[in-house]
Amino acid sequence: MQTFASRLTDALGPEVVRSEPEDLAVYAFDAYSQDRLPSAAIVPNDAREIGIAVRIARECDEPVVPRGAGTGLCGGAVPTRGGLVISLARMNRLLELDVANRRARVQPGMVNLDLSTAVAAHGVFFAPDPSSQKTSMIGGNVGTNAGGPHCLSYGTTTNHILGLEYVDADGEIQRTAIDDPGYDLTGVLVGSEGTLGIVTEATVRLLKLPEAVRVCVAAFADVESASEAVSAIIGAGIIPIALEIMDALITHAVEAHYHAGYPENAGAVLLVEIAGAHEDVAAGENVLAGIARRHGALSWRAARDRAERDALWAARKGAAGAIGRIAPNYYIQDACVPRTRLPQIMHAIDGIARDHRLPVGNVFHAGDGNLHPLLIFDRRDARQVQAVVDAGTEILHACIAMGGTISGEHGIGYEKRETLSLVFSSDDLAAMGNVRDVFDPGRLFNPDKIFPSGAVCGEVKR
Amino acid sequence: MIAKPSRAKRADTASYALGGLAPARVAEPRDAAEAAALLGAASDAGETVVAYGGGTLQRSANAPSRYDVALSTRGLGTLHEYDPRELTAGVGGGMTVAALNALLAENGQFLPLDAPFSARATIGGTLAAGWAGPRRAAYGRPRDLLIGATAALADGTLAKTGGMVVKNVTGYDMGKLYVGSHGTLGVIVRANFKVLPAPAVRRLAIAPFDGELRERAVAHATALSIEPAALLVVDGFHEIVSPGRPRLFALLEGSEQVVERATRELRSALGAAGIAETRLLDGDAAANAYASLVDAYAALAGDTSVTFLARGLPSHAVGRAQRARDALARADTIADLRTGDVVVRARDGFDAVRAALGRAIVLAAGPAVEVDAWGEAPSTLATMRALKSRFDPRGTLAPGRFAGGI
Repeated sequence: MQTFASRLTDALGPEVVRSEPEDLAVYAFDAYSQDRLPSAAIVPNDAREIGIAVRIARECDEPVVPRGAGTGLCGGAVPTRGGLVISLARMNRLLELDVANRRARVQPGMVNLDLSTAVAAHGVFFAPDPSSQKTSMIGGNVGTNAGGPHCLSYGTTTNHILGLEYVDADGEIQRTAIDDPGYDLTGVLVGSEGTLGIVTEATVRLLKLPEAVRVCVAAFADVESASEAVSAIIGAGIIPIALEIMDALITHAVEAHYHAGYPENAGAVLLVEIAGAHEDVAAGENVLAGIARRHGALSWRAARDRAERDALWAARKGAAGAIGRIAPNYYIQDACVPRTRLPQIMHAIDGIARDHRLPVGNVFHAGDGNLHPLLIFDRRDARQVQAVVDAGTEILHACIAMGGTISGEHGIGYEKRETLSLVFSSDDLAAMGNVRDVFDPGRLFNPDKIFPSGAVCGEVKR
Repeated sequence: MIAKPSRAKRADTASYALGGLAPARVAEPRDAAEAAALLGAASDAGETVVAYGGGTLQRSANAPSRYDVALSTRGLGTLHEYDPRELTAGVGGGMTVAALNALLAENGQFLPLDAPFSARATIGGTLAAGWAGPRRAAYGRPRDLLIGATAALADGTLAKTGGMVVKNVTGYDMGKLYVGSHGTLGVIVRANFKVLPAPAVRRLAIAPFDGELRERAVAHATALSIEPAALLVVDGFHEIVSPGRPRLFALLEGSEQVVERATRELRSALGAAGIAETRLLDGDAAANAYASLVDAYAALAGDTSVTFLARGLPSHAVGRAQRARDALARADTIADLRTGDVVVRARDGFDAVRAALGRAIVLAAGPAVEVDAWGEAPSTLATMRALKSRFDPRGTLAPGRFAGGI
C-alpha cells in the first residue's frame, strides 16, 4: 500500500512535498514550546495543490495543520497529532493592488511588513502590525486575528479583511466577501486559527497614510502610574494611534540592544503615537502630555524625526527578542482587561510573579488593556518551569476576575484550549462547535486547537 | 430551563405583519433568559418565530414562509454596562439606536451605526439586518464596532461571544455570524460595543451641481487631503435637503481646525470643478440633515417603490448609479464615493435596475410590491444552509427570510 507521503509526492511532485525527518523537523514546532513531527509537509504553489493535498489527507485520515511563519506563541501551528503540515511560505505574492479603492489581494504567505512596504509608495498601508511583522505572514495574521500596537486606533486584522479564498474540508476552493449577501463567513474564518479551512488568499483593506505622525516617550516612576495615565487618557475620550508601556526590566533590555533613546532610569516608559491631520497631532500632543504629567510623568519627549520614530518602534517591537538575549528562557502571556483596570492588574501580576519567585517584565498594548507579562525562567529548573505554568494561569484568572479575557491577539491555539471554558459556558462553546461541525465535521483541520479537550461534543443539546 | 410567562399581546398582531402575513401572536420577553426560553418552547412546539425590533429594515429580508410568533424585542432595551472611561457599552438588543446615542452623548461619545430611523431602529435589529451606513468608511462597520454579543438560540440556550474588552481572540468570533443573519441563526439579545469619542464639530456641506459637472466634481471631491466622514452624490430623493438638482454631500467631522481646513479645501476643489455654491450646515442642522439622508435609504416613495442597495468598489459607484438612471429615468440614486454603495429607489422596472446594478439587495419595498430581497445567491450557499440547519434544525427562526431561501 502506498504511504501518505508517497501519495502526496505522486500528486504534487517532490518540489512540493517534504517527507524526510530532517526536512520535517522545521514543521514540528512554533514559538510555543511543544513539538511533534508531522507525517509529511507540503510547500504548495497555489490553492489547487492545497485542495489536492487536503483530499489525500482526508482519504488517509491524516489531520491538516496550516502554517505561516511559525511565530505563533500558543502552539497553533504545532501538528499535535502528526499528519500534514501545509506551509504557505511559497504563496507570498501580492496579486493585485487597487490603490483607488484601497484594497489588495494577497497570498497568505506574504510577510506582513512586506505588504505595507510594497504599497507605501502609493500612500497606503496595511494597518495590523503585530510585533512579529517582519516575519509573520498575512495568513497567520488572519488565522489568529492578529493585533499589534497600532490596532488601538485601527482595529485588529478582522477589521481589515474584505474577503477570503479558502480550501474547505472537501478540498474545494471557496470564496467569501463581506459585501456578499448571506452569512458573514469571512468574519467567522478570521481568528478561527486554521480549524475551519485553509486560507489561500485574502482581500485586504488598506488605509491612507496619515499626513502627520508624532511619537512621544514619557517616563514614569512605576508601571502602575504609567497605567493610570493610560486609563486617564482613554477616560478623557482620547484614542491615540498607539499607547504602549514597557517596564524598567524591558526598557533596560531594549536599550542595551537597540539604543533607541528610551529613558533608562525610569520605572516605566509610555510610548505614544498620535497621527492624523497636522492640526490634530500638534494639539493632541499637548493634551496627552498634560494628562501624563498630571499622572506622574517624570519626562515627556517627542521623537524629532522619522528615523528616531522608527528606532523607538523597532526597539518596542523587538522587546521580546531583547529579553531573549539576557534571559535563559521566557514565557509571554497574552490577556486583556478593561482599560480602567490596568493599574490593578499590573499590581496583581507583580504579586503573582513575586509569589512564584519569578522575574517579570511587562511590555504591553496599554491602550487596549492588552497585557503581555513576560515571565523569565530557566528551563533546566523544574521548579521554575512549574512556577511559570502556575503563574501564567493565575494571571489569566486575575484578568477574568476583572472582566477581561484570556487572549487579546495571540489566540487560543493548543496552549490555552483548556482555559477557554473559564470564559465561556458549555452553551457558548456549543454554538462555536456548531460552526466547527459545519465547516469541518471530520475534525480534519488543526485538531486539538481552540476547543477544550472533550468539552465540545458538537451534539445537538436537545 | 423553565419559561417565565411572556407578556403576549394578541391585539396588535397586524402591525407585525410581513409580506401580508400576520403572526398568530406577539411575545415580548422581558429579558434574555425569557427570550431564549421562548425560542426553545416554540421550537419544541413546532412554531416559527420572527424577531421584531423597530421594523425599520424588515423589508430587507423576504417575508417568512411561516410566521407563528413575533418576538418583539421591546422588553430587551436595558443598558447593561456603560462606563464612559472604558469607551465600551453593553446594551440589550431592543434598545433603540437613538436611545443609546443619547446616553453616549451625555459623555461626549457616540456609536456611528448610521441606522435609518434611529428613533425606532433597535440595536439588535440594525445588527441582524447587516446594516452598514456611509460613515463605515471612517469609523468601521457595525460588525467592527461590536466587541461581544449574546444570542438566544433555537434550542433555548443563550450563547455569548467576545466580551467587554476591545481586543479579543478567544474562540470563534460568533458575533460576525449573528450580524447580518436576519434572525435566522439566533436573536441578538445583547450587544457590546466599543464606542468612540464624538467629533467636536460636525458639518454637512451640500453642493448642488449641473449634470455635466458630475465627473469633475467627483474627481475633485475624492482627492481631498482630509477625507469627509461621508461623501455621497445624490440624484432625486426629494425628501433630502436641496432637492431639484443632483448634489454632492460631504459630512465633515473632527476638530474645529481640521473641519475648517476641510471646508476650505472642499470649497476650493468644488470651485475648481465649476461648482460655485457650497451650502454648509453645522451642529444639529448638520446632524438632522444627515439623518434625513440616511433615513432615505429605508424610506418609501409610495406603495410601489423599491429601494435597492448594491455594494461594490468606490471607483465604480458613480458609473453604476448612472447606469441605473439610464435604465430607468425615474430612479432616485445615491452613489457613495467612500464605501462604493449604490442605492437606487424605483417605482417600476425592478428587473432593469437589478440588471444595471449587478448583484443588489433590497432595503425597502412598498406594501404593494413583491420583490425578492436577495437576488442572486452567494457561491457559499451550501455552507450557509448547513449552518442554518445546524443552528436551527427545526426551522424555528425566521424560515424563508434569508438569502437562498434560508
